[in-house]
Amino acid sequence: MIELATIDKTYTRPGGAPVRALNGVSLRIERGELVAITGASGSGKSTLMNVLGLLDRPTAGHYRLDGEDVSDLGVDALARLRNRRIGFVFQAFHLLPRTSALENVELPLLYSDRAAIQGLGRRALEAVGLADRVDHRPGELSGGQQQRVAIARALVNEPDLLLADEPTGNLDEGSAAEILAIFRSLHAAGRTIVIVTHDPAVAAHCERILRLEAGRLTADDRPAVAVVAAGEGA
Amino acid sequence: MRTARLLKHSLRSVGRYKLRSGFMMLGSLVGVAALTLVIAVGQGAERKLVSTVRQLFGGSSVLVIAGGGRLMGGPRGAPAGRMTLAEMEAVVKALPEVEAWDPQQGLAAEPVRHGDASATARVLGQSERTERVWNRSVTRGEPFDAAAVASSARVALIGETVARELFRDEDPLGGEIQIGGVRFRVVGLLERFGTDAHGMDRDNEVVVPISTLMRRVMNVDTIQAAKLLVKEPSRVEATAREVRRLLRDRHALAAGQPDDFTVITAVQVQRMVGKVERILFLFLPLVAAVSLVAGSVVSASLMLASVSARVAEIGLRRAVGARPGDIQTQFLLETALTALGGGLAGLVLGSAVAELVARRLALGGVFSWQALLAGIGAAAVTGLLAGVAPARRAARLQPADALR
Repeated sequence: MIELATIDKTYTRPGGAPVRALNGVSLRIERGELVAITGASGSGKSTLMNVLGLLDRPTAGHYRLDGEDVSDLGVDALARLRNRRIGFVFQAFHLLPRTSALENVELPLLYSDRAAIQGLGRRALEAVGLADRVDHRPGELSGGQQQRVAIARALVNEPDLLLADEPTGNLDEGSAAEILAIFRSLHAAGRTIVIVTHDPAVAAHCERILRLEAGRLTADDRPAVAVVAAGEGA
Repeated sequence: MRTARLLKHSLRSVGRYKLRSGFMMLGSLVGVAALTLVIAVGQGAERKLVSTVRQLFGGSSVLVIAGGGRLMGGPRGAPAGRMTLAEMEAVVKALPEVEAWDPQQGLAAEPVRHGDASATARVLGQSERTERVWNRSVTRGEPFDAAAVASSARVALIGETVARELFRDEDPLGGEIQIGGVRFRVVGLLERFGTDAHGMDRDNEVVVPISTLMRRVMNVDTIQAAKLLVKEPSRVEATAREVRRLLRDRHALAAGQPDDFTVITAVQVQRMVGKVERILFLFLPLVAAVSLVAGSVVSASLMLASVSARVAEIGLRRAVGARPGDIQTQFLLETALTALGGGLAGLVLGSAVAELVARRLALGGVFSWQALLAGIGAAAVTGLLAGVAPARRAARLQPADALR
């Protein structure tokens, strides 16, 4: 599903030396995988997430999404792909304040070409167990509930790929476990999910763990199923 | 479809941030209100001026006033001059193209009494031809005739304001009034006139035979002014030149000496009105436009601040599929909607104040389509001016940077 071939990403800051955030990263992620990308801060994992999510273009290398080379697409074509194929979950939730949960969830539909969008938002909220919070505003919801609204927003357009950047970083343990349980059930339903995290406990929920160090991919582990089961008990 | 959804979405977004939207609306509100007010009142004042001038002048009259430099823009310090009734009569006799004329003498503010009641009014002495020459008749009673003028009869025509102040509920016709110790009998009520271009209440007037006023009240042989009606409108300017030549002869003015009288025609008055109009229609809208630009700058800076505060929101919208054009459209719509809202409020406020001002100045109705269109146009321009820069900045943000 995802194919990266020797991806480089170099930032040039005015008045500073160029920073090589990604250095020859190549990897394949198959449909239905649950993958964690780990690494220390500054290792380039956020940059990799932005490249995977089509939010940022690589300086060199090729990115194939479902066999299509997307490295050279224009901004509008990328926006369309993000809208239809990719769902995002962020550490800071990024919900619109003073706006109901339902309207937040329906935000991607605003930019969609789909004709039949009636009821999709409500169904996505039901899927994350928030059917009774449709009219609540972010300020009236707990952190865990806000992140569930954000997941519903990521799912509303039924994307192939779900990208989560430190999804439990702002949450207490209980809420974090809820969120991870949702990811596991989405994975069980066959969705492709990539979670970026620095937290080994979160990564332990995934069947495949990629490690980044200074912009290079240094490890690609597939822990035993037992670890996943142990994580489930936590 | 997509644009319609964006419009609905922007409308809700404007509604969610009421304080910010309110301040942004204030910008266009003040500008549009000022513009509407200026145009509506300006047009009302112009209509009033034109109708007053038409009422006073008609198309074909020459006004002669004693004293030089009486016309706006004329030389200052021009000599004051005597103009007698006798010489004016002689001048008119020498001009066959004059079909009718009326001399005028008057007291600007004279106490007028009836029994215990007293009022201060303008007292005018005129001839029996006044109704025809000044185009003002009586609504009740009868105007005085040539015999009354010839015999210096003590009869008077009074305006509505004078009638109300002196007679209250009493019927003024046949009543007695006193001017400077002379008793007059009220024989007619003057047609209502209202306020003239100078803001003077022309219903606060008493008209008596000019002979009576000159001999019995003022004891003078001069007149203040005379109005001449010319048969052929095309001969007005020529007649005015003739009047001037004859009067200069009679006053024995040498070449190079300025006139000690003033001759005014409709053409000159129109030129004067034109000067006033240029001020109203160039200078005042300029002032309004400046306040509009100021409002636009306020809106733009508030919107720019709003873009800076909503960087994360913009990043999120890009992440979930908004194209740069969608972001630009949204911010343009938000600015345009607030500008339009403020503009409509400004239109209502400006029109209401214009109505109040018009009522105070007795300008009559001042509703103006031009003011309405200018107001709406101004609101649109404010929105566009204020919206473009912030919307472009928002659209240029890179999603990865915005979400950091």
